[in-house]
Parts: sequence; C-alpha cells; structure tokens
Amino acid sequence: MRSMRTALVLAAVAVLGFGPAAAQDVIKIGAIGSLSGGGTAWGLAIKRGAEIALDEVNAAGGVKVGDKTYKVELVMYDDQYTGQGGKNAAERLVHQDKVKYIIGPIGSGPVVSTIAVSTPEKVLVLSNGYTPTILRNEFKAAYNFRFTLTNLEYAPNMMKWVKENLKLKKVGILVPNDAIGQSVAPALIKLYKESGIDVVADFYERGSKEFSPLITRMMAAGIDGFDINFNAPGEAGLMVKQARQIGFDKVIFQMGGPSVPEIIEVAGKQAEGFISYEMYDFDAPAAQPLVKAYRAKYGAGIINSQTPAFYNATKVLIEAMRRAGTIDDTTKLRDTIEKIEGYDAGVYGPLKWTGKEIYGVDHQVKLPFFIVEVKDGKAVSRATLTMD
Amino acid sequence: MLTNTTILGQIVVNGLNLSAVYILVALGFTLLFGIMRVVNFAHGEFAMLGGFAFYYLYAVLHVPWLLAVVLGAVAVAGPSLILEWLVFRWFYHKMFQSMIGLLGLSLVMTYTSLLVWDVFERNVPSAFDSILRFQGVIIPMDRLVTIGVSLAALGAFYFLMVHTKIGLAMRAAAQDVEIALTQGIDAHKIYRWSFFVAVFLAALAGALYGQIYAVSPFMGERPLFVAFIVVILGGMGSIPGAALGGIILGFTESLLGTLYGGSVASYASFGIVILLLIFRPWGLLGTRE
Amino acid sequence: MTVKTLDSTGVAISGASPKPNRATIVAVLLAAALLAWPFVANERFVFHIAINVCLAAIAAASLHLIIRTGHVSLCHAAFIGIGAYTSAYVVMQLGLPFIAGLALGTFAAALLALLIGPVILRLTGKYFVLITFLFGEIVRMVFVDWQAVTGGANGITDIPAPAPIFAEPRNFYWLTLLAAALCIGFCGRLLQSELGRTIDSIREDEQLAECSGVPVIRIKVMIFVIACALAGFVGSLQAHYTHYISPQAYSPIESLNYVIMNVIGGMNTLVGPLIGALFLVLTPEFLRGYVQVQQILFGLILIIVMAFLPGGIADLRSALRTLLGPKRRDAGR
Repeated sequence: MRSMRTALVLAAVAVLGFGPAAAQDVIKIGAIGSLSGGGTAWGLAIKRGAEIALDEVNAAGGVKVGDKTYKVELVMYDDQYTGQGGKNAAERLVHQDKVKYIIGPIGSGPVVSTIAVSTPEKVLVLSNGYTPTILRNEFKAAYNFRFTLTNLEYAPNMMKWVKENLKLKKVGILVPNDAIGQSVAPALIKLYKESGIDVVADFYERGSKEFSPLITRMMAAGIDGFDINFNAPGEAGLMVKQARQIGFDKVIFQMGGPSVPEIIEVAGKQAEGFISYEMYDFDAPAAQPLVKAYRAKYGAGIINSQTPAFYNATKVLIEAMRRAGTIDDTTKLRDTIEKIEGYDAGVYGPLKWTGKEIYGVDHQVKLPFFIVEVKDGKAVSRATLTMD
Repeated sequence: MLTNTTILGQIVVNGLNLSAVYILVALGFTLLFGIMRVVNFAHGEFAMLGGFAFYYLYAVLHVPWLLAVVLGAVAVAGPSLILEWLVFRWFYHKMFQSMIGLLGLSLVMTYTSLLVWDVFERNVPSAFDSILRFQGVIIPMDRLVTIGVSLAALGAFYFLMVHTKIGLAMRAAAQDVEIALTQGIDAHKIYRWSFFVAVFLAALAGALYGQIYAVSPFMGERPLFVAFIVVILGGMGSIPGAALGGIILGFTESLLGTLYGGSVASYASFGIVILLLIFRPWGLLGTRE
Repeated sequence: MTVKTLDSTGVAISGASPKPNRATIVAVLLAAALLAWPFVANERFVFHIAINVCLAAIAAASLHLIIRTGHVSLCHAAFIGIGAYTSAYVVMQLGLPFIAGLALGTFAAALLALLIGPVILRLTGKYFVLITFLFGEIVRMVFVDWQAVTGGANGITDIPAPAPIFAEPRNFYWLTLLAAALCIGFCGRLLQSELGRTIDSIREDEQLAECSGVPVIRIKVMIFVIACALAGFVGSLQAHYTHYISPQAYSPIESLNYVIMNVIGGMNTLVGPLIGALFLVLTPEFLRGYVQVQQILFGLILIIVMAFLPGGIADLRSALRTLLGPKRRDAGR
C-alpha cells in the first residue's frame, strides 16, 4: 500500500509535467535526428546544418513573413536511430510542441515513422532516408520532401562511369546487415550484373570492426575491385585500411556513403587512390562560407557530408515562408516549396526538383554529385556527374 | 595470388590479433566480477578513455609509442579511482544493482565524451607501417606489436597474481571475501588495487584497439560485448578462463569469417556459447558452483 | 491484526493487505481517474505517453513473474517481438482479424517459451542472464535475416489498427488500459495465490523447496510460459499501435530496459515494475529538452537511484527511514 501511494504521487507529478511552450514572434522549427547510438554522426549533421542556417537568419534580424519579422529557433529531439524513437519524437513535436515543420530525420525507419505522424497533421518534413516508400507511399508524399540523393538517383550514372573508368570484371562488396544494407544492396548487385560485372557479396553484423577475415575471403574469390558502398563512415575507413594492410592492391571505391573525409582520417596513407561518390565538394569556393561558419561554431573536426543538405533544407524552408507570406498554412508552404526551383541557398546551386517518374511526385531534390579520388591525403575531384 | 597457406596464415594472424585484444578487455571485466561481484557495464568506456589518452599522448604530443600506451593506461586508471570511490563502491557484492548502476555510468561516460570530443573517429597514425611478408603470409607490423604488448601485459598480470603478496590477497578475496577478511586482509585496499588493475588492462586494450581500428566515444561498445562473451566462454571470475575464452572467440571469428562469411560466424559463435552454457555453464575453466 | 512479511531490510514481501475497505476505495478512485482523465485532458501526445506506459507496464509486470522465481531474463523483448511479428504476419499476410493476430501472437510466444524453458531454466543466476542474452540476440538476428517473413532490418510498415475505431489514440488508450488491468490483475492474483507463495519459496531456497516436494522445474517452466505468453500479447498490441515494427525494438538491449524497470521500480513487489515502467517512459520525456545532456542525466539518475535505493523506488519510504535513522522501535518483528 505504501508503494501504491508512491506510485500515485509519481503519476500525479507526471500528468502535471507537460505544458506546451509559448511562442511569441519566434518560429519553432522542429528537427528529429539521432543524437545517441549508431546514427549520432548523422543526427549531429542535421542539427548543425540547420543551426548554421538559423543562426544566419537570426543574425540578419530574423525572417520577414508578411509584415512581421520573426526570429527562428530549432527544437530538436533524439530518435535514437530507431523507428519507435522517430515516432516518439514526432508525436511530441507534432502534438505537444505543435511545430509545423520538421527538418530530418535520417534513416528509413525514423523517417517512415515520422511521416506517418506528421502527414495527417499536415506538418512538413524535409528529410533524408534511402527507402523509396519515403516518397512513394499512401500519402503520395503530400507533405514531405527529400533533400539528399539516394542510390536510385545517382547509381545508374555512377555505374556507367565506374564501368568505363575502372574496367572491373569482378567486384567484392561488404554490406552491413541493417536497414540500409538490406534494402539497397540487392538493387546495387542487380545494377552491377546488368553492367556485366560479377559480384561477390557478404553481409556482416553492425558493430564489428574487424573485416580482415571477410576481405581475405573475397580476395580468395579473385575480385579485382572492392566497393565499400553503404557502410558507415567509421567502418568504411577501417575496410580501406584493413584491405590495404592484408595486401589487397586493386582499386577500392565507394558507390555510396559517402564518407571521404572520415576515410582519409581513419585510413591515413592507405587511403591513397581511393575513389568515391561524393555528395559535396568542401573545397569548392561556394562551400567556404558554410565551412567557416561550421569551424567557428563546432571546431576543427570532420564535417559530415550530410550537413550541407540540411543547411539547404532549412534555408529552403525559410525562403518558402518569406515567399508564401505565411508560417502556418503548410499547404501553401508546400506548394511554394514545389515551385521554388531556381532558388540558390548558397551550397548546391539552383534548386531543382525531380522524381515523378520513380515516385509519382517531384519531391526529390536534384543535385549534381561528384566522383573524387584521394591523392596525397586530399580528395581531388575527378568528375562531376548529374542524374539523367 | 592467394594460396591456401596465405589464407591459413591470414586466419592465424587475424585470430591471434583478435584474441589478444579480447583477452585484455575480458581480464579486467572478470577481475571486477570475481573479486567485487560487480558487472561492469562501463568497462568498454574505460577502454575508450584509454584509447583517447593514447591518442593524445602519441598522435598529438608525440610521446614515444610504448610509453604513450603505458602512460595512457596509467593516466586513465589513476583518476578512475575517483570513480571507484564515487560510484563503484556502492555496488560491491550487489550484482543486479551494479548492472544497472554501471549501465548508468556507461551512459554518463559515453555521452560526456561525445560532448567533449565530438562524434567522428580519430585515427592513430601507424607507429609501425611496415608489412611483413613471410612464406606468402602477410602480417601487418602493428598487429604483431599488438600481440606482443598484449602478451607482455598478460605476463605481467600473471606475475602480479601469482608471485606478489597483493596478488595473493586478491585471489583470496576472489575465493571468499569473508574468510579473507578474517585473515587480516584489508578489503578496501584489495578492491582499489583490483579496480586499478582492471581499468589499467581495459585502458591498455583500448589503446591497442584504437591503434588498429579507430578512437571515438562509441568505441567501447564492441569491447564490452566481446568481454561478455569471452567471460561466458571462459567462466566468470576465472582468469585462465578469460585467456582461453579470448583465444577461442578470436580464432572462431577469424576461421568462420574467412571461410564462411559474416553471418555464419555470428550464428556459430553464439551457438557454441549457448551449447556451452547449457552443458557446462561454469565455462571451460570456471569453478563449478 | 496486521500481517506483513518483512525481509531483513524492511521491505514488504507480497504480504496480504489487511484492510480491504481502504484498499478498495483507493483502487476504485484510481480506476475512475485512469478512465476519466482522457475527457479532461484531451491531448493526443499525453495519450501516446499513457499508452506507452500501459504497454511497458504489462511487459515489466510479466517479466516480474519470471524474476519472482529467481531468474532474470534478458530475452523478454524477443518474446514481445515474436508476438508482434506473428500478429503482423497473421493480420497482413493471412488476412485474419486482429483478435486472431493477438491470440496467435500470444500462442507463438508461449510455444517458444515452452520449447526452450525446460532447457534454459536449469541454469540459475548469472548463467541464466547470459543464456537469455544470447538467445535474445539470436532471435533478433533471425528477425533481421528472415527477410521474406519479417521484412528484415527494414521491418514491417503499415500494420493496421485493431479496428478503425482504435486508430484514434484516445480509444486505443482505453483498450490498452483494459489490457493492462487484465494482465497485471492476473499477475497480481497469481502472485497472491498458493502458486505465488510456492514461487517465493522457490526463489528463497530452491533446494529446500525441492525437498519439500515442490516440482521446481515444472513450476518455473509454467511461470516462464505464462510470462512469455503475456509478452507475446503485449507485443501484438504494441505492433498494432505503432504500425511499424523492426528488429531493433526487440534486441537484448530492449530487454534490459524491462529489467531496469523491475530493478529501479523494485524487484520485490508487483508495484515495483509498474513504478519502473512509469519511470522509464516518463524520464526521457522530461529530459527531452536537454538535448545534448539527455543521456548523461539519465545515466546519473540510474546511478543515484541504484546506489541509494537498492530495493528500488517502491522502497523509497523504508530507504528514507533507514537513512534518517529509526525514530521508533518496531515492537515484535
């Protein structure tokens, strides 16, 4: 009975603990990302990309929507890189904090759960996520957009480049046995085979750091190229390092990821000659303001390639508010975003939408992408490719 | 051209290398359980701190390699005694409470490190870049050195446990604390010594692990997972058991992974350990309870 | 006359309550409050939290049954997963109604428990913890690898609500409240019955119980099967609420959460896991604002609670009393 009373007290405290926050002349922009667990690097990329964009807006005095000027604020919750976590964060943002727009998340699980919560409430979601159901779903992606490329967008043309330039007969791929690996690997293997390249594939449990046995096995199968595709940055770096250390001397490349700065950091000298798909050219002149802002706020560490995408998404959202003259009418905002082609947030050039053919809606951002090669510890651009 | 010798040799080298690091981590873990009956869920985080200490000493301050490894481990184990006083001592001989409490500690350590050091992995430049080629077998030098240092640490540990007074006291306490107390052994002194040694070994393992792989706030997860399995295999609280368990796990992973691929290696490892638990739960070298 | 059994640290062990009237009044008031508050606070997010608390409470309470036999299981989430996947498959692939999914999910979990129970329950203490950890990991790996049936690491999406009326969170809350009342009530009755006392005797001294003629292994298996059946039950319910399941939600780490609920709430009484469920669902929500330090604060809370309340939160009163020193002497203990 004593413990019953304790339970009652706790319950009462709990019920009283939630109160919606007041917002006066400050626009709350929601965000969801992994701030703990395996996806933390990506969650931080969302947070930082968005924060840099919002800092810019606030430094300029705020955003003028209609005849009012608003400051902007980010409200970000952790999804722990799981579908359930995404749902919890989305429920809180949408129903408790009553935000109208969400930046992120990354990862098919969290994104799918978030959209299920946000779309019925007409909350905009600007996310990442590899699975096609993010854009091709029962809602017809009515209120969400994707701001990064997936393999469906870049792989065909990249495969053409790989075929012409790397001249492979048999490629080895190591894939993590997780959501991305399982959903994307079959498509990749199919693409290789269609291009006339034989594939030796193996799956491993995420968490493992020792790939020498598996790489040895592939070498025994006679591969002349090693594609580290969808591996997380840390693992990708280790794969390059370990492959070189056990004597693999053929080409190592990445048809996904990307994780070039992380690979250069982890593999050091062994990264020489590594070729990769890259989302963003941090050395380009256009990138310098973003890099500078990042360094000032977050230090000298590696900048994850997802960061510019979410900087871009946030800027697009703010611009849409300005153009539409509203912060509440999300349907109008959505229509404005759809028509925002040509707007240049400063990191990717003029924005273009695509995707109708594959997904039924043009809510997929169209970006150029790069092929880089590591020379003397730096990533050097070898080619700039576009989607068809 | 990969010959069978090469592959076999590769399997052995990878196996030894994996085993060496696993054993170091498992030893500290089993020591803490054997003497103080705590399940140290934060063990991986001490390895992680060892990795960072080593990184700063070697990669940033350019302290000579071996000195950096040892000094780094001491630099972690010493100050950790504060954690012993603050956190661990509440949980001695309380297995379940220790599990949850130290899980909490692991969260605190991991996410504080995340705040301090950010999420990306740091590479420790290879001290030993060369690659030995021997009869078609390829051995990266840094792995060889890892094996060497691990063996030295194991040897020193063995010497401590068997040939010193404090080691004798520790073993007595592991067997039966109350009787050890009646023999005049200062329990707290033993606990602190055991804690220091356990964390030292973990931090050392972390430095070697960081050298071969990479250093990051999350790097402690894998060593903890492995320590668990090794200790099950070898028997909770058994030191030779931890060594044997480490070797078995390392070689199984290496052998099965090379010959059959990732999935099979995982299932098989678990299957073996489960069978062992069913038929011989005290592990290969543990004491039957 | 007050009959309360206390162990050496003053913690009440499932004693029979002496004053039915007072208890009944409290219970009725509580039930009324739990049923009625959704009319007052019509907040969707609060429903979401309340549903999560109810589901967690069922899971933690069912684990509590196993803990009362002296075994700590780290594969409880695996059985919840079995219930979830079975139910999703039955409803989505076989086109059967939710009730069939619920029943088959419960049954599948019970069946698996029946198969492995006799083997693993022979182990005790830390060995049981370890073997359940490994078993839980194997089940998770099967969920990940058996892509044809489970959808692999990407899981299963668009799982329908039990019935269109339950797509509304408030209605689903009442459904889960009913389920929780039934399941937890069942656990409570079981623990207070003759069987419950047998379980306690097994936990306290297994060999003595065996000598007294208690069929120890049979009882342990029976309790294990019941507990895992309840886990399958809640798994199915949960799947049809979140509409999306994936292997990650059923890993040994998740099982650890249910163990934490029991240890933090209090392992000695049924109220313990309920408090623990409340605690573990609510605390992260309270800490959400502290984005960067959320996990750090949570970790600190775990350390402090475990260090100063080894008997769990349910033990708060007696722990405080021990801390502040006895003011009165208990006559006749």
